[in-house]
Amino acid sequence: MHRLFRATAVAAILTGLFLSATGTAHAEKVFHRANDLSFGGSESIDPLSPNRFYEVTDLLYDRLMRQGPDGSAVPALALSWQSNDTATEWTLKLRPGVKFHDGSDFDATDVKYSLERINDPALESPVAAVLGIISEVEVIDPLTVKIKLSTPHSGIPLLLYDYRVRMIPDGSGPTIGTTGIGTGPFKLASYDPESTTELVANPDYWDGAPKLDRITFTAIPDSEARNQAMLAGQLDYNGLTRDQMPLYQDNPKFTVQKYPSGSWFGIAFISDAAPLDDPRVRKALRIAVDRQAMLNLAVGEGNGEVTCDSPVMKTDPYRANLNCPQDIDGAKKLLADAGYPNGIDIDVYTADLEPGMVQFAEIYQQQVAAAGIRVNLKLAPSDGYWDDVWMQKNCVTSWGERPADQFLNEAYRTGADWNESHFANAKFDKLLDEARTTLDVNKARDYYVKAQEILFEEGGTLIAYQEDERRVLSSKVTGIPALGEDYIKWNEVDLTE
Amino acid sequence: MLGMVLERIGLAAFTMALIAVVCFAGLQLMPGDACTVHLGRGASDTALATCRSRMGLDQPAMTRFVAWADRLAHGDLGVSAQRGKPIGEIVGWRLRNTLILAVMAAAMGIPLALFLGVASGLSRDGPVDIAISTIAIFGMTVPEFISGTLMILIFSVTLNWATGVVLAGYRAPVMELVRASILPSATLTFILAAHILRMVRASIIEVLQSEFVLMARLKGVPRRQIIWRHVVPNALLPAISVIGLTAAWLLGGVVIVESVFNYPGLGRLAVDAVADQDLPLVQAIALLFGIIYVAVNLGSDLLAMALNPRLRTLRG
Repeated sequence: MHRLFRATAVAAILTGLFLSATGTAHAEKVFHRANDLSFGGSESIDPLSPNRFYEVTDLLYDRLMRQGPDGSAVPALALSWQSNDTATEWTLKLRPGVKFHDGSDFDATDVKYSLERINDPALESPVAAVLGIISEVEVIDPLTVKIKLSTPHSGIPLLLYDYRVRMIPDGSGPTIGTTGIGTGPFKLASYDPESTTELVANPDYWDGAPKLDRITFTAIPDSEARNQAMLAGQLDYNGLTRDQMPLYQDNPKFTVQKYPSGSWFGIAFISDAAPLDDPRVRKALRIAVDRQAMLNLAVGEGNGEVTCDSPVMKTDPYRANLNCPQDIDGAKKLLADAGYPNGIDIDVYTADLEPGMVQFAEIYQQQVAAAGIRVNLKLAPSDGYWDDVWMQKNCVTSWGERPADQFLNEAYRTGADWNESHFANAKFDKLLDEARTTLDVNKARDYYVKAQEILFEEGGTLIAYQEDERRVLSSKVTGIPALGEDYIKWNEVDLTE
Repeated sequence: MLGMVLERIGLAAFTMALIAVVCFAGLQLMPGDACTVHLGRGASDTALATCRSRMGLDQPAMTRFVAWADRLAHGDLGVSAQRGKPIGEIVGWRLRNTLILAVMAAAMGIPLALFLGVASGLSRDGPVDIAISTIAIFGMTVPEFISGTLMILIFSVTLNWATGVVLAGYRAPVMELVRASILPSATLTFILAAHILRMVRASIIEVLQSEFVLMARLKGVPRRQIIWRHVVPNALLPAISVIGLTAAWLLGGVVIVESVFNYPGLGRLAVDAVADQDLPLVQAIALLFGIIYVAVNLGSDLLAMALNPRLRTLRG
């Protein structure tokens, strides 16, 4: 017993010495984050992978352009860009003197490889739906490339700042998922999405050496456990749900940030079968909603932005700013004109898939009842919802932000892959085509705005509001603006005592 | 005697086979499959078809079950659908980590429960008993996700005595995990001890009222000797099976406690695997839980038989 005690005491002292020795050796600035393991361990640091580990790829690789605060494109690895008169060819000048983490130079061949890789069928990358129009990238000289498009597109700079379009070394596709070699502010030190992923500063970063020494990601799949770790000071950065916000709000140890995001819940009404094939019925279903009241009830006052059925987010340069107050009488009249003077019965499916998705449908049901719209709510199982219900039934849907052109084309153009409301309107499609061939930004804006007005008049998707997102930071953190993750320049982030 | 032992083992094997069938069938009944989960909502039909044929999901359920059971019989747990690694490797690390947690909880909880249970039973309705029993009621009734969260709030967030959520990875060295698992194992200990001590207390009280204790008292045997020679040994026998059951319960408890504390063990893996619909992995974990549950029960039954001659002749 005595001996055991003595051994323990010696061990304790040695451990103490060891800890204090390592503690004083070097005051490293380590930034702790958590990853939610949303791809169940099949996360990939290949930026084009459908399972991309976004938080990490954002640190490892750079884009050609970044997103400016007004939604325009600002230079990153590309310094300037110019299109030909028909918007079919774009010439990019690249930043000189940029090096990859392995010491090799970044040049035009890397851009050619990274962009052409998007169309590799073996990758099944979702980016191909956006940038599949790139038919060829020509290397003019080591710092100049010419992007050739199969169809004209005046908004290429906005599409190129997509968070997945990142520059990797020429030919590195087969190994990029393990090496993580890019030009970004941090280099990969160890990688295991199921336990710990560690990145170290890239002192040669072209935009200035990072102020942090390391960033670690710990896998914490449970949202409540992430919250507990944040509360206990084990993390420096975490996303927040609305319910968790009060835990941090008046606590000097934390900073809470709220920023606009393009994410929303909506109801997609299938528009190609009676009675919803009549645009008057579709409009009635949407204008009967009191959007501000819905926002206040569903996410709380001040936690979002009222939207008039446009999926385009507030900060997008092409967003249409419409006015859409609740209009019960108008809705009744539209229904009567369409042949439903006694109101209408509508099935709406929802599922307990994301917090608030069921309540959203319930609020809708109550609000539109006054216009004689009798909503028959159907609760579908969460598993398989996107396969068995979505795109087939009137149902609650959920989206994250996308640039205007991408959103309108992917989800509303006739026959588009994700056209959840089966919306088909030749005039709308034509406006999108015209916008893409117009190099004059103001003119393009007019086309996009008109397209969104058509959605409000005839569309099948109710989008009542877009919700803000929230994050909490340890109060030691500086350099993170109250904007989406895409805007953070991680080399400028610091930890101060 | 041998017949009874063999019968128990046979029953245990049958139970395990049944578990295998039930967990396979249960996952079949869920809408969606590993591919729809893996590829998400933007999945194209061709991508789904490729994925299904790669994972063999286009085969009928019966065929898949037979193939799975056959590989299992050869010790091959298969490959995880989501993680793309052999299940044996994934599960092996987590099993080690869960055992660390369970052993810590049992090593603290069982002796504590026995001691408190005996103390409580002997001072029936006295202040010691009331205090212990009240705390035990809390331990039994408060769900582990509440007691666990409270533990973090009190000992980590407020007092800063222990690390709250476990940040160590699944391959962390044993000592690192032991240090990190103070709060989770304390949470488990609290509940585990509460259940066992209630049983020990009841058992002590029952034995105290038995005729042989009355006889010993009438005979003039000193109280201390009555307690340590007659009451405690007899009272602890039924506790063995409760300890067995509670140890097996630990497995269910770890699912929640591990999720709350982000402990990289089998329980959290089970939750993740269900969320990802990683079918082969869910099957393997469910089977493993089943085997451990059955084995622990079998062990405690056999131990009780060995220690208590009366059980060897009484059938039923």
